[in-house]
Amino acid sequence: MRYIIVCMLLLLLIPIYQTAKEEDIWQRMLAASSVSTKAAVMTLAVAAFRDDEMMTVVGVLILTVGNAGIMLLAHLLRKISS
Amino acid sequence: MILHLFFRLGIWFLLTSDFSPANIMIGMAVAFVLPKPPISFPLREWLPVFARGILMLPQAYKEAIEMMIFPHRYEGLQLEKVRPGRPDFLIFLDIFFITFTPKTVVIKYHKEGWYEVHKVKRHQLIIDGKQK
Amino acid sequence: MDEIAAFLIIITLELVGGKMREAFSYFLLISGLIFWAWGTITILEKRSVLYKLHSISVSDTLGSILIVLGLAWRGGHKLSLLILAIISLALWNTMLGYVLAYCSNEQGGKKLDG
Repeated sequence: MRYIIVCMLLLLLIPIYQTAKEEDIWQRMLAASSVSTKAAVMTLAVAAFRDDEMMTVVGVLILTVGNAGIMLLAHLLRKISS
Repeated sequence: MILHLFFRLGIWFLLTSDFSPANIMIGMAVAFVLPKPPISFPLREWLPVFARGILMLPQAYKEAIEMMIFPHRYEGLQLEKVRPGRPDFLIFLDIFFITFTPKTVVIKYHKEGWYEVHKVKRHQLIIDGKQK
Repeated sequence: MDEIAAFLIIITLELVGGKMREAFSYFLLISGLIFWAWGTITILEKRSVLYKLHSISVSDTLGSILIVLGLAWRGGHKLSLLILAIISLALWNTMLGYVLAYCSNEQGGKKLDG
């Protein structure tokens, strides 16, 4: 289980690097959405590793409301740039 | 017309997983007080939608494994025709199902009755729609 | 004698079942990780946003669903929360994919170089 979480952490670094590197705003948004989902799933995995109920609730809440922010940001960017 | 109540209560009980009377009361109150959605959808039309949703999951995994094994290097736009004037909720479900499978993403819905679908391909480039 | 044999068979089945359960859980988790790795490495390439959306859809929706299923198979969680996690993963990531495709295409339709 520990190795699985280490693998997830290493994979989480790739979109963070991509977010910092890219120039185009939409590529950055794509990488940021990937970071958001991966972090929430990692929260669930850590919760399973530590047998902690409360962390599961936190992970599910991040999953249910987290992506809405990115959607709103995308609409806002489209309105601003047009 | 009752279905949206079941939907809200279902999400509430999945999140709280608590069947004490106080919790049931709170969930019922919130589900009734929230405004009613404008769509009304008879139960008979839900069944093919459910069946399609269940069939969509293995197909999505099949396409994902295909994409992983064989590299899909080419991409292109395609137009898919549907009957115009469908209810909004069915359009949403169509877009949802097409976007859920990883090889296809809906870009735009035109009111005249077609979707603009972006696809990845193994072999050749799709030309139509590219010169816009 | 028969009772003892039946008891032994049941114990063996339980043990194999427990091992199988754990092995299947790890199988789901590792295949989810493979999905994640494939999709995440693809976004490092120089391709259009729409092309990357396909691989992000593979890794973030399907791979994450596999990982959450593996966690659910292990037991110890509340199952209802994990079901809610799977539903919201499928819904939100798909809608986010559509919104990103729509918005990015509106702005720069000419970026579609195959």
